Amino acid sequence: MDCLLKHARGLYINMQRITIASLMIIFMVVFYSLYSVGIYGLGATPPEWFPVAWMEFFDAVVSLNTVAFFLAFSLIVFAYGLWSWAFFPSPAVSYTQAALQGLFGQNVRIEQSIGKRFRVFLESGTHIDVRCRVKEASSGDWFVYRFTSCPLTGNSLHSVAMRHGMSSKKGRFTTTIGHDELHHRGLLMAKAMASIAPDS
Amino acid sequence: MADDDTLRTVYELVQLMSFLNETRRAILLALSHVYPRSVSGVQLSRLIGYSGKSRSLYRGVLTHMKEDGMILIDELTPRLHAIRINNEHPLLSMLVELCREYGKGTSKIYAKALEE
Repeated sequence: MDCLLKHARGLYINMQRITIASLMIIFMVVFYSLYSVGIYGLGATPPEWFPVAWMEFFDAVVSLNTVAFFLAFSLIVFAYGLWSWAFFPSPAVSYTQAALQGLFGQNVRIEQSIGKRFRVFLESGTHIDVRCRVKEASSGDWFVYRFTSCPLTGNSLHSVAMRHGMSSKKGRFTTTIGHDELHHRGLLMAKAMASIAPDS
Repeated sequence: MADDDTLRTVYELVQLMSFLNETRRAILLALSHVYPRSVSGVQLSRLIGYSGKSRSLYRGVLTHMKEDGMILIDELTPRLHAIRINNEHPLLSMLVELCREYGKGTSKIYAKALEE
């Protein structure tokens, strides 16, 4: 693995720990503050079979506090989801940009949008979307990239894609690659797109 | 002298093979030598000397190669998959043909490894 990516991986693991720890602290603070202000009941009466000794417990659970607690909890989960969607360690950004610039030249325009998406604008007016997944949940592989070309027209898309080790979906070339193939498979993608361009 | 189309296919095959990463290249070479047999995930990971779990091979690299039409995976049972090379692939069919023609010695070694 490239040392920039190794650095990025270490950074990501550290940041993930810090994020989870701080969200747990927020969780505990929310839990404490929501149930220590006094219980606001929903006006529900417990069923007849309910043991009398547990009445207080029932009142605490069936209450506005619990509703607020679930709202707060889902917000915390949402915050973690947002973080893991948007956070991309900066060494990995430099690695991706350096690899793409090495391939397409220093003057190529690369736009990074929020999250882990890049768009490379090629000279012919076409573009390639590059998306990175920091850690693939299913396999545990780090830094898996996905290439998607801009929509293309032509009747030989499928065979051109196959001959360049890719697949074509809905008029776009797509392929998923490892971080060590970024440079070479990018070249294949550009070559495939150039060979389709004349008929469109 | 071979005709132009064949040479072009060979060029594209060499280019594709050299552009793939180590794991993918090893998978394609092993599968094309044992063709038409199919292998299980555990067998494949042993053939290519993969150190990780074969399950992570399935869910990562093999899934991506299947999407790109390089290999075919038949699910025999939820836990047992039969993996073979896609002989309909325009470039890999050439690889299979080359392996059958000139790779008999290598195929024997792979076949022996599979038996054990």
